[in-house]
Amino acid sequence: MNIKKQFTEGLVTNNPVLVQQIGMCATMAITTSLFNGVGMGLSVLIILTCCNVVISAIRKIIPGEIRLAIFVVVIAGFVTIVDLLLQAFIPALSAALGVFIPLIVVNCIIIGRAEAFCQKQPVGPCFFDGIFQGLGYTCVLVLMCVFREFVGSGRFGGGLIDIANGFRLTIDGTGGGIQLFPEEFGAAIMNLPFGGFLTLGLLLAAMQYILKKSAEKKEKAEKEVNE
Amino acid sequence: MQKILKLTVILFVVCAIVAGVLGGVNEFTKDRIAEQNRLKTEKAYSAVLVADSYEAVDFDAAAFPTVDSISKAGEAGYVVETTFSGAQGMITMAVGVDTDLKITGISIIKHAETAGLGAVAASTNDKGVAFREQFVGEDKNVAITKAGGNIEAISGATITSRTVSEAAGVAVCAVEALG
Repeated sequence: MNIKKQFTEGLVTNNPVLVQQIGMCATMAITTSLFNGVGMGLSVLIILTCCNVVISAIRKIIPGEIRLAIFVVVIAGFVTIVDLLLQAFIPALSAALGVFIPLIVVNCIIIGRAEAFCQKQPVGPCFFDGIFQGLGYTCVLVLMCVFREFVGSGRFGGGLIDIANGFRLTIDGTGGGIQLFPEEFGAAIMNLPFGGFLTLGLLLAAMQYILKKSAEKKEKAEKEVNE
Repeated sequence: MQKILKLTVILFVVCAIVAGVLGGVNEFTKDRIAEQNRLKTEKAYSAVLVADSYEAVDFDAAAFPTVDSISKAGEAGYVVETTFSGAQGMITMAVGVDTDLKITGISIIKHAETAGLGAVAASTNDKGVAFREQFVGEDKNVAITKAGGNIEAISGATITSRTVSEAAGVAVCAVEALG
């Protein structure tokens, strides 16, 4: 298990959303502005990495029968810690992400990785697995946010970028974003859950197409070598 | 029998450790969180009715179950803090009411509305500000246009707009009942 392979797996070939197809509810619910996507993606990345490391470290003393119960306790513990720390030290970010943080407890990416990867692998690979799977998740969220925001309200970087007072990044979600065309002309339906389904469906189809093409190419190359 | 005992003990130990760690983190952060919440509440109060100090007053809690507290904001009027059911969860809101029983402003302190729809009511963007500014000068009969009032509901968030308007009306009634 090398790092480069894990990187490609997390971002492309075993992407949590587009290939494993887990953690989809949160993906559809929150991808309405770039700020939400980046915030949720990074929160998941941090919590996923912590949970992966801890679960991997205690994997030998967890009896198989009660492993799920223990995973849930560990995950809920970390989510609560991150929630409390955010509330105490970065209240603006906590106010903006407050709704999403508790959702991470039931985000099946985390329990999915614990079950499929961390209960069998040592701490090192699990740490990188957390980072790369988290990155893969964040990338999908960002893609969806950019698409939905642009089509839905003609904006880029809502909440994250503020151009009213000079170009700067806002971590408290107050930036207005860059208006690329007037909001009235946007297809507001893209901001509704329906738009989430549509975007995710398009992304999934594109991903499957790319994966299939590259598999075919590989097969063809192998055949030629054999002949 | 022995196996189930072993499982119970392990699960218990794990839960106890997690609970212990959480207790520690809570102990470490609770003062700061309380302080942050106080600042946030004060900011929300001054956004609806500016005053040097806010002093809690007694009110008829049985008649207004959704009203959490009423604070006297100097001579300017009162700030009512109310918690009510929105479209997705409970919304906590501060409503400023002046001595003529007119709303001076509303500010949403805490909510769990849908991002991009109901959450606009609490947002700092133009749409959110425009929505809240409609309440300034309204009286206890404040309502959305669908219910015969003057408040233009947020598109896609009629329920949020309706519950916010109703709660603002209740807040004025609560101040009126103070006499």
